[in-house]
Amino acid sequence: MSIWAALAGGFVGTLVLTTGLRAANTFNVTRIDLPFLLGTAFTSDRTRAKALGYGAHFVNGLIFALLYYAVFAALDYSSWWLGTAFGLVHGLFAATALVNILLPLVHPRMGSPQTSAPDVALLEPPGFLMLNYGRGTPIVTLAAHLAYGTIVGGFIAWPS
Amino acid sequence: MNDSVATAPTRLDGYAELRDYAAIGDGRCVALIARDGAVDWLSWPDLDSSTLFAAVLDQARGGSFLLRPDVPHTVARRYLPGTNVLETTFTTAGGTVRVTDALTLPDTASLAPGRELVRRIEGLSGSVPMSWSVQPRFGYGARIPIVARRAGVPVAVCGAEAVAVCAWDAGHPQCTADSVTARFRAESGTRALIALPYAYQEPLVLPTRAECEARLDHTTATWRQWSDDRTYTGPWRDAVLRSALALKLLVFAPSGAVAAAATCSLPEELGGERNWDYRFSWIRDSAFTLDAFLKLGCAPEATSYLWWLMHASQLTHPHLNVLYRLNGGTRAPEQALPLSGYRGSTPVRVGNAAAGQVQLDTYGELLQTAWLYTTAGHRLDADIARRLAETADFVCTIWQQPDAGIWEVRSSPEHFTQSKMMCWIALDRAVDLARRQLIPDRHSARWQRERQAIAEFVETRCFSERLNSYMRSAGSDDLDASLLLGLLHGYRPQDDGRLRGTVSAVQETLREGPYVSRYLGSDGVPGREGAFLACSFWLAEALAGCGRIDEAVSLMDQLVALGNGVGLYSEEIDPTTGAFLGNMPQGLSHLALISAACAIGEATR
Repeated sequence: MSIWAALAGGFVGTLVLTTGLRAANTFNVTRIDLPFLLGTAFTSDRTRAKALGYGAHFVNGLIFALLYYAVFAALDYSSWWLGTAFGLVHGLFAATALVNILLPLVHPRMGSPQTSAPDVALLEPPGFLMLNYGRGTPIVTLAAHLAYGTIVGGFIAWPS
Repeated sequence: MNDSVATAPTRLDGYAELRDYAAIGDGRCVALIARDGAVDWLSWPDLDSSTLFAAVLDQARGGSFLLRPDVPHTVARRYLPGTNVLETTFTTAGGTVRVTDALTLPDTASLAPGRELVRRIEGLSGSVPMSWSVQPRFGYGARIPIVARRAGVPVAVCGAEAVAVCAWDAGHPQCTADSVTARFRAESGTRALIALPYAYQEPLVLPTRAECEARLDHTTATWRQWSDDRTYTGPWRDAVLRSALALKLLVFAPSGAVAAAATCSLPEELGGERNWDYRFSWIRDSAFTLDAFLKLGCAPEATSYLWWLMHASQLTHPHLNVLYRLNGGTRAPEQALPLSGYRGSTPVRVGNAAAGQVQLDTYGELLQTAWLYTTAGHRLDADIARRLAETADFVCTIWQQPDAGIWEVRSSPEHFTQSKMMCWIALDRAVDLARRQLIPDRHSARWQRERQAIAEFVETRCFSERLNSYMRSAGSDDLDASLLLGLLHGYRPQDDGRLRGTVSAVQETLREGPYVSRYLGSDGVPGREGAFLACSFWLAEALAGCGRIDEAVSLMDQLVALGNGVGLYSEEIDPTTGAFLGNMPQGLSHLALISAACAIGEATR
């Protein structure tokens, strides 16, 4: 187990997660776009938002990998399958509390159930399990996070 | 009718006239209040949620919030100027009472409930005996709540929903098994307050009286500020501003979507089955919506709406659904509710089967919307630009299909002329956007070729030399008021002889006084319907476009007078009785009013 392995796993895992979600997006399975959701917290320029969002998303991916590493270190055990389990929890957290409760708190352009006239949101709220973004969203989001967790867990556990 | 003139409220079979309803809202949900003080419609927590009050659809089971004098009285109403806060004045032999109603906007000064209806009752003179009754019925009347006192406050609970009935100086509320009632006297100079805080999937917040009073004042001030920021200075300013406020009621603030109307299943024919759910956002209305936002100086709403439009349609891209849910969803399964319907108009439908239809004009509306957005100086990002270009490509492949048309007929698909015209608009706008390098121009030559092919189809198969007019569909002998949109959206120049002939033909065939019918042919649904208000406004705008300004102004004056006493419009009007028909407030009617007023104002400059 090493921090460098965690960071490397975080980078590769985020790459896979982002690419998976983007592919699902392109094939009209979901309207989820995590970099866009993150980037619009900083700007209402759509193009700039996506660029910023990808940067923020990768930073988040590295931070979560370090959190995985911290838990693995506390357990003094790491493996790809435990990473998968972490990914499941991570995915559920992301699809429920993170984007529905925490993100709207700091996101000036995202709607929430409290958004009212005369304000108007630029981003529709994701809803429970992000179902507002399409019925396939929970599945692809969880699948992407499972992949992320597996990769991070595998990197941290390897080569032991 | 003028609601500033006090008259006695009336009901027939327990139902108020649709014309008698005023709407209040908070950008998330809308309530309808009758002239007699009854809140007969309220869907919580969102505009497209199931209802807490739906007496307008079933007096016995729907649920309502009654508040009125116990003695004979007359009623005068108005919106507080520049707001969506309603003021109702009851006059009795013994005194006068004023009721101020609002769905409050959350403020930052206090912990606000998730949703809140506040009714302030002020004794203006004398002494008036008042009674009120809250009958909450969750789930379109299907779920009767348990009513019990909590911390001394009556609370109705049903599953994840709860509503409290907080009353101050409004008598001693009596709880029955399923309602809360009270009586009190409104004395001159006194003030009472009743608030209904609501919670969904969270604990109820029980506000103090001072907080409710402050929120009501804050709500009034916020609406007034929004109105003061509107930039329209043309003719019929009051009607345009009221329409803007009505339109704002239909903007679902959490997403930026705009609902077609606030209600479901209010009938297009009394006792008939033309009862539809309009609490969705129609692509059909998008160009008028964006145009209205831009002309009224509502830049945030315009941007938000375009973002929502492009976001919602992403899942179905390059296909466009006829309508989308306000949260961007695509499913709107139609089902009938076990309610008796407004004056026996059944079935009471929620959901809308039109969602599954093919409606080709939507592509023109989408490209026109984007075109209007860029013409106003806004930019499109690369992703949206790519998708718009792909939409134009898609139009090239599908425009030859028959469709259900702008009116979503439930008869067999046809080659509707207006649909083809809007396909032409779609490609024309795509060509222009590409020329300005706002969308990829790789297929611009193909778009131009297909645009020409559409024009040849419309000109050879959809035009009647005998009537000197475009017809409803290819080979048809019927007229359709939607053909006016060919002129309004710029299918041909405004001095084009064929379009001018069409305007005259529509006027001669479909107009009766200020009323214009959509069409006279069949549409696959039994029964008839009233005159379609948006078509009347379109005719006024088209007349102005043809240079017939005096006729346009005259028609517009008549139409503005047709609004109910507080300036709202439903979808249709019975030309014989003047009764409102269809869902209300209806976004398309108000959008068409704004558009016509702006166009006539520009034409007269």
